[in-house]
Amino acid sequence: MRIIDTDVHESFSSLTDLVPYLPEPYKSWIAAGAWRGFSQPFAYTSPGNGNRADVRSADGSASVSDYSVMRAQLLDPYNLTYAVLTGYFYPTGLKLQYGLATALARAYNDYVVEHWISKDKRFIGSIQINARDPEAAAREIDRMAAHPQMRQVMLPVVDDIAYGHPMYKPIFVAAERNRLMVAFHHTTFAQGPYGMGLHYMERHCLIPISLMPQVISLIANGVFDSYPNLRFMILEGGFSWLPHVMWRMDREYRQGRVEVPWIKKLPSQHCRERLRLSTQPTEDISSGDWMKLIDLMGTDDILVFSTDYPHFDFDDPNAAIPKAIPEATREKIIWKNAANFYELDMHDKTIPNQAAE
Amino acid sequence: MAKHIVCRFDELDVGKITPAKIGRTPIIVSKLPSGQVRAMGGRCPHQGAGLEHGCISGRTESEAPNELAFCDYGETLRCPWHGFEFSLIDGRSVVPGTGHLPMKLRLFDVEVEGDDVVVTI
Repeated sequence: MRIIDTDVHESFSSLTDLVPYLPEPYKSWIAAGAWRGFSQPFAYTSPGNGNRADVRSADGSASVSDYSVMRAQLLDPYNLTYAVLTGYFYPTGLKLQYGLATALARAYNDYVVEHWISKDKRFIGSIQINARDPEAAAREIDRMAAHPQMRQVMLPVVDDIAYGHPMYKPIFVAAERNRLMVAFHHTTFAQGPYGMGLHYMERHCLIPISLMPQVISLIANGVFDSYPNLRFMILEGGFSWLPHVMWRMDREYRQGRVEVPWIKKLPSQHCRERLRLSTQPTEDISSGDWMKLIDLMGTDDILVFSTDYPHFDFDDPNAAIPKAIPEATREKIIWKNAANFYELDMHDKTIPNQAAE
Repeated sequence: MAKHIVCRFDELDVGKITPAKIGRTPIIVSKLPSGQVRAMGGRCPHQGAGLEHGCISGRTESEAPNELAFCDYGETLRCPWHGFEFSLIDGRSVVPGTGHLPMKLRLFDVEVEGDDVVVTI
């Protein structure tokens, strides 16, 4: 069975890897150590410190920045048809110095193209942006969309942005202009309604609660209606909450449409048609519970498989999705739903060039 | 039933994972603080991670938030991926309520014969 892994985290080994791709004065700043990069405000508790403990280079050192390691541990042994690179360096996390953040996003995109995407046709790329400067973000989307393997814009979920706000319109306009999709992924800054909690376990439980408001914000503020060609991917944010969000939004819409008449469809219909949720981290539920959830969602078009490689909560392609799920639905989760999302040619592994026209 | 020499006894240490193979089947071996030897299947029963990359450590205990006690070093194995904890005393998950999952290590009969660690399957 063909497999698309929709959430694979490439990385650099050090922030200074971006120096060759930065313009001055930022090049000198980063080269001189003026900023040391993002640091998570917590300690990881897994044996591999946030990554799988077995992700190691040939010399035994831990490495998440080596394409050959990823190929040997993920791409080849699981025979992935495609792997969507989603990064985990999100310059939107900088709450000041927007020029630097935009330059970092641009440099990171160029780094990823040279050191990752160009090495393997199985990679699908995500365009990283500084969302806090939407006009600059739109220019970066236009620039990177020319690369045939770039197929989506990555919007990182931080602690102070709900992307339905009208100020982010240039990002969605640019994505639609370039026939790109839009993905959302948590960050080390994502929070629940009362912060991160007091423990890593608490923080990790709160991640879905940082993603749910993005769906509500996008639909309530008309993003789904305004950009009919966009589709939206929630990565690593859980999925069992979706029936509740659909029911709640439908009920609120029925009684409160007078306030938001730009919403032209039931929110649940928007979700079923153009929202996709990745499966990792699966929650060790039975195949029967998987099918109950899919039934409650009203379609088996929504879920897409992901591993989250190389992070510690990796889902094994051979183990995470129960074999007892009906074959047609399992194939949709592992292949078809994401293939349709990214408009991949079902019979050709070459990604067609759908860059800016 | 057949006996298999899997490693030498002096390769073992408390807190150390010694990988070995019986045919094509990966196993891991370690020594408990009591001096007993444990040999077990090399794949995590949850999603199949290679346990040779895991870690053997102690167990945390607490009766009050933010007050951790660390005990029984060398008796707990953690999976290299998800960090699931298994007791090396009985192979069971340290976490209660995992009965619906296949969360038990496969422990093999193991003896020390001279300098050799011998597993019987």
